[in-house]
Amino acid sequence: MNPLIEPGWLNAILPEVILCVGGMVLMLLAAFAPKLSEITAPVALIVFIITAWSERLVRGGTFFGGTYEISGITRIFDITFLLAAMLATLFAREYLERERIESGEFYALLMWATVGMMMMAKGLDLLIVILGLETLSICIFVLVGYHRRIPVSNEASVKYFLMGAFATGFILYGTALFYGATRSTNFAEMSRVFATANPSDPMLTIAFVLLMSGFGFKLAVAPFHGWAPDVYQGAPTPVAGWLSVAPKAATLIAVIRLLAAMSPLLQHAVWLKMIAALSILSMVIGNAVAIAQRDLKRMLAYSGIAHVGYMLIALLSIRDEAVAAIAVYTITYALMNIGAFGVVSMLAKNQNDPQTLDDIAGLGFRRPFYGLALTVCMFSLSGLPPTAGFIAKFYIFKTAVDSGHVIIALIGILTSIVSVYYYLRVVYYLYMKEAPEGEAVAVGGVFATGALAISIIGIFVIGLFPTPLFEMAGAAARALIPYP
Amino acid sequence: MTNVLSWTIWVPIAVATLLAFFPRNAVGAIKGTGLLASIATFAISLAILMQFQDGVAGFQLVESHSWIPQWGVRYAVGIDGISLWLVLLTTLLTPVVFLSSWNAIHKHPKEYVIAFLIMEAAMIGVFVATDLLLFYVFFELTLLPMYLVIGVWGGANRIYAAIKFFLFTIAGSLLMLLGIIYLAFLQYHHLGHPDFSIVDLYDISIPMRTQSILFGAFALAFAIKVPLFPLHTWLPDAHVEAPTGGSIILAGVMLKMGTYGFLRFCLPLFPDATAKYAGLMIVLAVIGVIYGALVAWVQPDMKKLVAYSSVSHLGFCVLGIYALNQTAIEGSILQMVNHGLSTGALFLLVGVVYERRHTRMLADYGGIAATMPLFATFFVIAVLSSVGLPGLNGFVGEFLILAGSFKTHPTAAVIATTGVILAAIYLLWLVQRVFFGPITNEENRHIPDIAWNEVAAMVPLIILMVWIGLYPNMFLRKMSPSVQQLLTTVQRGGERGQTMVAQRHVILSREDGEGSHRQRSFASLRMTKGKQ
Repeated sequence: MNPLIEPGWLNAILPEVILCVGGMVLMLLAAFAPKLSEITAPVALIVFIITAWSERLVRGGTFFGGTYEISGITRIFDITFLLAAMLATLFAREYLERERIESGEFYALLMWATVGMMMMAKGLDLLIVILGLETLSICIFVLVGYHRRIPVSNEASVKYFLMGAFATGFILYGTALFYGATRSTNFAEMSRVFATANPSDPMLTIAFVLLMSGFGFKLAVAPFHGWAPDVYQGAPTPVAGWLSVAPKAATLIAVIRLLAAMSPLLQHAVWLKMIAALSILSMVIGNAVAIAQRDLKRMLAYSGIAHVGYMLIALLSIRDEAVAAIAVYTITYALMNIGAFGVVSMLAKNQNDPQTLDDIAGLGFRRPFYGLALTVCMFSLSGLPPTAGFIAKFYIFKTAVDSGHVIIALIGILTSIVSVYYYLRVVYYLYMKEAPEGEAVAVGGVFATGALAISIIGIFVIGLFPTPLFEMAGAAARALIPYP
Repeated sequence: MTNVLSWTIWVPIAVATLLAFFPRNAVGAIKGTGLLASIATFAISLAILMQFQDGVAGFQLVESHSWIPQWGVRYAVGIDGISLWLVLLTTLLTPVVFLSSWNAIHKHPKEYVIAFLIMEAAMIGVFVATDLLLFYVFFELTLLPMYLVIGVWGGANRIYAAIKFFLFTIAGSLLMLLGIIYLAFLQYHHLGHPDFSIVDLYDISIPMRTQSILFGAFALAFAIKVPLFPLHTWLPDAHVEAPTGGSIILAGVMLKMGTYGFLRFCLPLFPDATAKYAGLMIVLAVIGVIYGALVAWVQPDMKKLVAYSSVSHLGFCVLGIYALNQTAIEGSILQMVNHGLSTGALFLLVGVVYERRHTRMLADYGGIAATMPLFATFFVIAVLSSVGLPGLNGFVGEFLILAGSFKTHPTAAVIATTGVILAAIYLLWLVQRVFFGPITNEENRHIPDIAWNEVAAMVPLIILMVWIGLYPNMFLRKMSPSVQQLLTTVQRGGERGQTMVAQRHVILSREDGEGSHRQRSFASLRMTKGKQ
C-alpha cells in the first residue's frame, strides 16, 4: 500500500508553497515596515518570477492519493496564471499609488488567488477543484473591493460575493449529485462509472447542469454573465483585467477535466448541445451588447463574454487539439486583455467616474506608445493577423472545422465581423478624434510601460512564431486526455 | 541577389520600424527616408524583372521556409507571369505617392510614411505569397494602414468612409478565412498531412456542392475588394474621403488584390464552380461596366467621377477573367496595370488641383488649361489613356478583353463595348468642362501650375502609358505561359466536372441547363487554345 502522501509531495507543490510564503512575507512587510511600501511591488514581482522559475524544478506525476496532477498542461496553465498576475502587478504598482491605496496585502492576495487557480488546474478530484475555487474566490472578493472608499468598488465586491456564493452552491450540489451517482468525486473513477452509465439518467443531467451553471458563472458565459460588466467597472482596473483572464483560464481547465471524464457519455447526451448553446449565446450577446457600450471597461467585459464563447467552441470536441487550442487562446487572451485593461488603468481619472471612449480621444498621437499598445491589443482581440489573436482564433476555428462543427464556426466568424466594429471604434477614437482640451491624459511610469511592452512583444511573438507554443501545448494536451 | 522577393517585402517594413524611432519634428528626414526606401524597393523589384525568365509558367524566384509546421504553413513566396506586373505596379506607385504628397501632408507625417510603407510590404506580400495562409495574413495586413490613411488624413466624412471600407472588406475576408480553413481540412484528408501550398491545392478535387460554397466564400471576399457591382458601395465613399495618396494606392493596387484573387484562387481551385458561375460573374461585371460609367457621367465631383470610372474599368477586368480564354485574361491582367497607371495618375492630378483650389466640383472650374498648361497636358494624357485611345495603354487592355470575351460571350462583349464609348463621353466631358472654355471663376485665373514633385511623380506614369501602348508585347510575353498554365488547370478541373456532368446526363437524360452551359464554355476554351 502506497502512503497517502507520496515522498515527492513537497516538490510537487513547490510553486504553491513559494507563493504562499511570499504572500505571508509581504503581509508581514506591510504590517511591520510600512515605510517599505515602495518595494512591495518589486518584491512581489520577484516572488512571481521565482515561482515561474521553480516550475522547471517540478517533476510530473500524480500526488496526494491521485488527486493532484503535475503535467505539461498544468505547467502551461501555471505559467498563464503567473503571467496574468505579473502583468496585473506591474499595472497595479503605479495605479495603486495614484489612487493612494498602495499596500502589501494587494500583492499577497494576488499570490494566494494564484495558488487557488493552480489547485483548480491540477486537481484530479472535484473537491480539490472546489477548494481551489474557494481560495480564489475569497481573494477576488477582497481584490474587487480593494478601493475601500469608493462606492462602486464596494458594490462590485458585494455583487461578486453574492453571485459567487450562489455559484459555489450550485457547484457543490452538482458534485454531491455526481457523488451519489458514481460513489466518487475523483475524475478517473467517475470516468469508469460513466463508461457504463445510462446517458438519459436525469440525475446525471441535473448534476451536469448545476456544475455547468456554477462554472459558467465563473467563466462569465451568457446567460450567467450579468455580473461581469458591473464588477469589472467597479473593481480597480488592473484587478479587472486580471479577473477577466486568469480565473476564466482556471475554470476552463477544470471544465475540460470534467468533460474528459464524461467523454464516454458526451456523444449520447444533449450535454454537448448545451455547451454549444452557451457558446453561441455568449458570442452573440457579448458581441452585440459590446457595440452599445461607451464605457471601456464594460465594453471589454462584454468582449470577454464573447471570447469565452469562442473558447467554448473548442470544448465541443474534447481532443488534444482542442485542449491545445484553449491553452494557446488563454495565454494570448492574458496578453491582449490585460494589456487593454492596463491602458485603461493609466487614464488619470477618478476611479469612481466611468472611463469612456472620450477619454482616449486623440491618445494615439499624444502618447504614441500607449496608443500603439491599445491598437495592437484591439487588433489582436478582433483576431486580425499578424497578431496572436489571429493565431488563437484560427486554431479554435480549425479544431471546430476538423471535428465537424462547421456551423458553429460560421457563427463564430459572423459574430467576429460584428466585433471588429467595436474594436475598430477604439482605434478610431485613438487616432481620428481630436482630444478635447483639458482631458485626462494617460500617465504611466516604468512599471506600466514595461507591462505594455511585454504585452505587445508577446502578442507579436505568438502571432509570428507560434511554433514553440504549439509544441508545448500540443505535447501537454496529449498527456491531459488519459481516458480513452 | 537571392531572395529578391523577400527583400521587397522586408525592406519597407524594416524602414517603417526604423522610422518609428525618428523624432517627430524631423519631417524632412522622415519624408526623405520614406521616399528613398520606396525607390530602393522599386530598384529591387527591377532586379526581379531582370531575373524573371520568359517562357516559364510556374512560380519563379521561389523561396520557402517552414513557418508553422504543425499546420503545414510555410513562408513561401514566388512570382509568375500573373503577379509580376502587379508587384512592379505596387513598387512604382509607392514612390509616386510619396512624391505627390511631399507638400500635401502636414498632419502627422511620420505616421503617414510608416502607414504607406507597411501597406506596400503587405500588398507585395499578397501578390507573391504562394502559401494560402501567408496570402491571407498579408491580405488582412493591408487593411489597417489603409483604414488609418483614410480615417486620419481623409476628408470631412472620413470616419464613415474608413469604417465602411474596413467592415465591408473584413466581412468578406473573414468568410474567406472559414473557406480557407475548410479547404485546408479537405487538403489534410487528401494528403494525410497539413499543407497550405497553393500549387498543391490546385490538385485537390472537390465535390461540386462543396466547390460552390467555397467558391462563394472566396468570390465574395474578392468581389468586395474589386469591387463587383452590388458590393461596390464602399468604394466611392472611400475614394472621395481618402487623401490623394490613399486613393492612388487604393485604386492603383488594392482593387487589383480582388481581381488577382480571382485569377490565383477562384479559377484554379474551383474550376467546376467557376464554369458554373462564370455566367453570373460576367453579368455582374457587365452591369458594373455600364452602371459605373452611367453614374460617373452624372457626378458633379471630379474625384467621385474617377472613383465610379474605377467600378466601370474593374468590370472590364472581371469580364476578361471570366471569359476564360488566353486573350481575355492577358488583356485583363494588362488592364489591371493600365488602370493602376491611368487612374492613379487621375487621382494624383485631381489631388493637385484640389490642394490649390480646395474644391473638386466640376462647376467651380473651367478654362484652367490657360492657367495650368503643363497640368492640363498631363491630365489629358491620363484621360486619353483611361478612355482607351489607340497608342496608349488603355486601348490594348480593353481591346484584348473585348476581343477575347467576344469569342465566348459575344452579347456581354457587345454590351461592355458601350462602356468604352460611355467612358469617352464622361471623361472627355470632364476635360472639356474643367480645362477648356472661358474662365468663369475669377479664382481660377491664378492657380500655380504643377510643382516639381508632382511632375516627378507623373513622368514615370506617362512614360509607361505610352510604352505599354506602343509595345504591349513586351509585357504580354512575360505573362503568357502562366496564363496558359492557369487555363490548363481550369480546363483539367473542368473536364473532371464534364465527366461528372456526362455521367449525370446518362442517368437524367433530360437534365439540361447548367451542363450544356459548362460544355459550351469549355468547348470555346479549347477552340481558343487551338488557335494559338
